[in-house]
Order: sequence, then C-alpha cells, then structure tokens
Amino acid sequence: MENKDCVIEVKNISKDFVIYGDKANTLKEKVIRFRNNKKEVFHVLKNINLKINKGETVALIGVNGSGKSTLLKLISKIIYPSKGNISVNGKLTSLLELGAGFHQDFSGRENIYFNASIFGLSKKEIDSRVDDIIEFSELGDFIDAPVRTYSSGMYMRLAFSVAINVDAEILLIDEILAVGDQRFQDKCLNKMLELKNQGKTMVFVSHSAESVKFLCDRAVWLSEGKIKMDGETEHVLEEYIKECG
Amino acid sequence: MWVGDKMTLFSNLYNYREFLKTSILKDFRGKYKKSFLGILWSFLNPLFQLLIYSLVFPHIMGNKIENYTVYLIVGLMPWTFFNNTIIQSAACIVTNGGIIKKVFFPREILPISTLTSNLINFLITQIIVLLALIFSGIGIAKTIVLFPLIALLQYILQMGLAFIFSAITVYIRDVEYIINIFMMLMFYLCPILYAPSMLPPELLNVLKLNPMFEIITFYRQILYEGVLPNMHTVFKIFLVCVGVLFIGYMIFRRLEKKFAEEL
Repeated sequence: MENKDCVIEVKNISKDFVIYGDKANTLKEKVIRFRNNKKEVFHVLKNINLKINKGETVALIGVNGSGKSTLLKLISKIIYPSKGNISVNGKLTSLLELGAGFHQDFSGRENIYFNASIFGLSKKEIDSRVDDIIEFSELGDFIDAPVRTYSSGMYMRLAFSVAINVDAEILLIDEILAVGDQRFQDKCLNKMLELKNQGKTMVFVSHSAESVKFLCDRAVWLSEGKIKMDGETEHVLEEYIKECG
Repeated sequence: MWVGDKMTLFSNLYNYREFLKTSILKDFRGKYKKSFLGILWSFLNPLFQLLIYSLVFPHIMGNKIENYTVYLIVGLMPWTFFNNTIIQSAACIVTNGGIIKKVFFPREILPISTLTSNLINFLITQIIVLLALIFSGIGIAKTIVLFPLIALLQYILQMGLAFIFSAITVYIRDVEYIINIFMMLMFYLCPILYAPSMLPPELLNVLKLNPMFEIITFYRQILYEGVLPNMHTVFKIFLVCVGVLFIGYMIFRRLEKKFAEEL
C-alpha cells in the first residue's frame, strides 16, 4: 500500500455467479418457475489479493475455469465483485475481445474509428494513429473495403492492430494471440515486448508456456478460484507443468 | 452523492465523446446503409403515415379541424420521435450485449446515442413541418423561437425514460414487447389525431398528467396556432422531465452493474 508504484490493487476479492438451472428471462417463465427456482451459487474467485506494480508483466495461468478471465473482467470493470474492492491507477485497456463494435457494413478504416473510440480515444488521437494501425494490420488497399468482405484472419489482424495501438498504460490481454498465422503472432509478441520495454504494465492470460516465458517476469497461478502460487515465471511454470501436465 | 454521480456522467460523456459520436453516427447511418433510398426513408416513413391518417380520419371522424393535415403533422413528428426512441432504447443494451460483455465503457452512452440519433432524425423531419406550414398559408409564427426549448424538454424526458427501459429490459425481456403495446395506447392518449378541446374536461384533466400530452400541445401552440404556451405549465413540465431523468439515471446506475452477467 505504501508502494506508490502499485497500479492495480486487488483486495479481498470474491466473485460468485448465480447459476440458474435454466434461466428465466421472460415474465412467463418467472411466474411459472416461481416455486421451483433452482439456483446454484458458484464461487468463481475466493478472497483474492493481488498487487501489480508499474511496469510489471504478469501472466495469469491456470486450467480452464480457474477464474483467470473473471479476474481480468473484474479489473477492467466489466463485472463487479461480490466482495472486496479493486483500485486501478492509470489508463487501462482490456483486450478481452478483438473487434468489439465492428460494424460489418462499414469499411476497415471507419471501423478503426468505431473500435478505437470504444477504448475512449478522441478523434485527434485516432487520427494520429490511424496510419500506424493500417500499416501494422498489413491490410493495404483492403482497408477501404467493408469489413464483411474480410477473411477471419484479416478481421483479427485489423482488430489486434487497433487494440495494440491504443496506448494504454495498463493492458489486460486475454488469450488473443491465437490470431493470424505464425508470422503475425510473432509480430504481435514482439510488439508487446516493445510495449513492455516502454514501461507499460501488462496482465496476460495465456495457455502458451512459450509466450508466457517470452513476455512475463512474474506468473500468478490460479487454481479453483484461489491464488496457488505467485512468483518468478520460470519457477511457477515449472510447478504448474509438474501438476497439470 | 447525486452531485458526484452527475459529475461522473458528464466526465464519462466527455472522455468518451468520440465513442458517443461514432455510436450516434453508426445508429443513424447504419440503419439506412444498405437500403436503396437511404436516408430518404427518414422522410418517407412519416410522410406516408401522415398521408394515411389525413385521408382516413377526417372521413370516419367527421373532423372539423382547420388544415387538418398540418395540424396532424405538427403533433405526429414529435410523437414519432418519442415512439422510436422509447422502442429502440428498450432494445439498445440487449442488442449491444456483445460489446458490453467484452469492453468497459460508460454504459449510458448506448441509450443516449439511440436517443440522439432519433433527435437528429426528428430535426430533419421538421423540414417537412416547415414546408407544410408555409404552403398551407399558416406561415411561420414568431413563437417558433421556443422550439428549441420544447425540443429540449422532450429530450430530457426521453433520456430519463430511455435509461429506465433500456436497463429494465436486460432483466425482463418482456418489457420490449410490453412497450410496443403500451405505445399503441399512448398514441391515442396524446392529442395527435384530435384536439384537446374535443374531450370532456374530466378526461382532459387526467390525460394532462402525461407530460407528452402537454409537450405535443406546446409544439402545436408554437407552430400551428402561433400562440405562446402557458409558461407556468412549461415550467411545471420541465420539473417533471428533470424528475424523470433523475429517477431514470438512478435506476440505470443501480442496474448497470450486472448487465454483463445478465446478458
């Protein structure tokens, strides 16, 4: 707490999801199921404490369902915790989903504006980045064609290029590196390394041990909603692989 | 606490102004992007509606209102603005579920952009109203200077309602359909096809509780009759509209926390 460089502080966070056997979304269903509303409370995160300092690159690892994505969503304020609180210091961008807000009928260039504006950029800020974004996406003349004509690879390349050029101080990245071909993936990793060297803070969810080793100094292992281990990447990965294969 | 909330609303809107702008643009242009006549539909839709009403109603009701078509259009355009805003805003959070679940941004931008793109549409249709006023010989009265004020009242009212309905629909999807029926009823509860003076006084007093009833009356007074509305009533309606916005924003703030989980 005394540490001024702490940019993300997660304090005693718990998150419960209520799972309905079959969720009633309409009035009719609510009335009919008034008596036998089966619900199950699912504790996704249990009392998590985590501090991330400025300039750190932290990987969240763990098996499916261990709560990694939920933690990222909580930090980015998409969902709210059941208990505890989170403070974030600095401009944060979450790359949880690529191409959020893309509109099929508009051109790639127009969609750069839509997509970047969701991240809170002003017109001027986008204007100054648009050339870098187009260049990074390698779309060339396709940039002025409607997005619906793009292949899925082109779509993802454009989306990633926007996200990576937003210039946030804190980046939350959720398994989006399964983008494009190997060469483009390497390019993305290198771009992220470049951002890291510029002193950006990154929280990175990935199942790829290689990318984690390449990028992160610190790894946090989540297991069944708790932090099982927190430390140097090599060490945590070693233990993780020992247990989870 | 309210002051703090209000400030976050404004600072959020300022920080995300580009998103608000592109989102309005997308609502507005995206709607007509693939249609042959494009933006002309903003005119054609209300024009045909007007044509139908003005052909049908004088015959079956034996209407004695002078310049009935002009009378009708002055009330019908604000109604269309109201109707479209409420119906579209009820759906706006649900249809944007994809981005709500994935990206953080001030959620209030969605209903506000739905509302504002409809406002632009409304202002465009006012061109038809002006042409109708000129060509019918009624002319344009000085009282037209009050138009921005009345439009602002309507905008504030609709913002409050858009907050309420967009948020509630996430939890109870039926609201989207209930609203359609409700709006059909509301249409007849507002003085669009008829004049308030045709109603028995007791009924009139009840209907006047509806702020849209008064707002449509204001439009008609400043455009069609060329008289100043009772400023006392205008102020009263202003307070009602601000009250609805206040309650609406409170409800929205409470419900928005679970949007991502409910969608």
